[in-house]
Amino acid sequence: MEWDWAFVREILPTLLDGVRLTILATILGSLVAAVVGLGFALARRSRNRIFAKGIGFFAEFIRGTPLLVQLYFLFYILPDLGLTLPPLVAGVIGLGLHYGTYTAEVYRSGIENVPRGQWEAAKACNLTVVQTWRHVILPQAIPPMIPALANYFIAMFKETPLLSAITVLELMNQARSVANYNYRYLEPMTLVGVFFLVISLISVIGLRALERRFGRLR
Amino acid sequence: MAIRTSRAIFGTAVAAFVAGGLLLGASGPAAAQERLDELREQGFVRIAIANEPPYTAVNPDGTVSGAGPELARAIFKKLGVEDVVASVSEYGAMIPGLQAGRFDVVTAGLFMKPERCRAVAYSEPDLCDAEAFAVQKGNPFGLRSYEDIAANPEVKIGAPGGGTEERLALEAGVPRDRVIVVPDGQSGIKMLQDGRIQVYSLPVLSINDLLAKANDPNLEIVAPVVGAPIYCAGAAFALGNEELRDAYDAVLAEMKESGEFAEIIEPYGFSAEAAKQVTREQLCAAN
Repeated sequence: MEWDWAFVREILPTLLDGVRLTILATILGSLVAAVVGLGFALARRSRNRIFAKGIGFFAEFIRGTPLLVQLYFLFYILPDLGLTLPPLVAGVIGLGLHYGTYTAEVYRSGIENVPRGQWEAAKACNLTVVQTWRHVILPQAIPPMIPALANYFIAMFKETPLLSAITVLELMNQARSVANYNYRYLEPMTLVGVFFLVISLISVIGLRALERRFGRLR
Repeated sequence: MAIRTSRAIFGTAVAAFVAGGLLLGASGPAAAQERLDELREQGFVRIAIANEPPYTAVNPDGTVSGAGPELARAIFKKLGVEDVVASVSEYGAMIPGLQAGRFDVVTAGLFMKPERCRAVAYSEPDLCDAEAFAVQKGNPFGLRSYEDIAANPEVKIGAPGGGTEERLALEAGVPRDRVIVVPDGQSGIKMLQDGRIQVYSLPVLSINDLLAKANDPNLEIVAPVVGAPIYCAGAAFALGNEELRDAYDAVLAEMKESGEFAEIIEPYGFSAEAAKQVTREQLCAAN
């Protein structure tokens, strides 16, 4: 087993393509997760008990099943129902839905942490429901959530290799096909590890900054 | 008493030293015989397979069949190794796995190509086949060769990761993003049915097997692929294990002579004659 720098130089451009797709999938997945999570959180607070329960059950169902199974479902089974998604879209929806159920809990705790008095004050000022949410509740609820959300962002980033199961050519898949072609695993897999580590470390630094900015109790 | 003890310690030290020396020197001519003895003693040999009938197949009850494993089982039985233990692996992972000592031999129908010949010690040829495409009925894109795929930017080809077909497609100039790595045969057929890929490439017998199982009137086979020669596979051993390979070859040659070879592989659709007409040397030197 010898480390071969020439081989590293040769495969680096291919792997960088994979890195690009990995980052793209993570960012798109996070956006979906952020929106879906908010949707779940609000729906579960709905006055319509049956609706809230239904959504709650659905979220619980997604959280309780493996992401890989969901990806297979989105990619291989949905086409039978007439919906053929491109691999990356299926992957982003899978990641977004799965992590949306986690971020929903973050939103829920954030919203519930807004003191009751704020709701009552909003009512006393005769604000509408939309005004209450937009100007009173969400501005107070969202900042403390940001570090927790960013944490899930990093976790999702590290789950993207699962997308290789549905033929997305992200970093892991690129590395595998490089390894398959050249019968060498040492360099490609080491580089995958290095890329993930570097990006994670940078993200963690960003996360710390977010925590300093938003994480403090006012 | 004291003397005896120290002698015992000395004896142990010598034994350990000798044993260590044997292990270190295990690349000499004695090694293969030793390796074979080890295999005989443990009673099984570890093989790598891919679950691609009729080359290799994992039955619903978990047992392993297919032409490759059946042949290996028969040959190792004659060498005194009672059983084979199979692990399912990706094609691309087989050679690194062999080098890392995860299996003793790959019997997955790994076609001989010069670059593979440099990476492993092949037995003489055993399973020969041409390449084929599975396509939508009527072959709407008119695909006859890997070059046809390269020339049409709308066509995506599915192939097993690290398999010969992936390499042939890439060598023919199909860009990486149009060569979709498909995990297994069923997924390949499914992706073809769903229109995610326009062509799925495997050897003729594998495509025939898959299409027979899928039983889908909207799919058809294009065979043989123009410009892709007939390939032959062999059992692949790790470099340095040539003596074990030679022992395997000796039995294989006998079985080819006696007709036993044909009895094992022909029910799976392979031609024994095709394998007899070529040698490892020819195939490893080709192109």
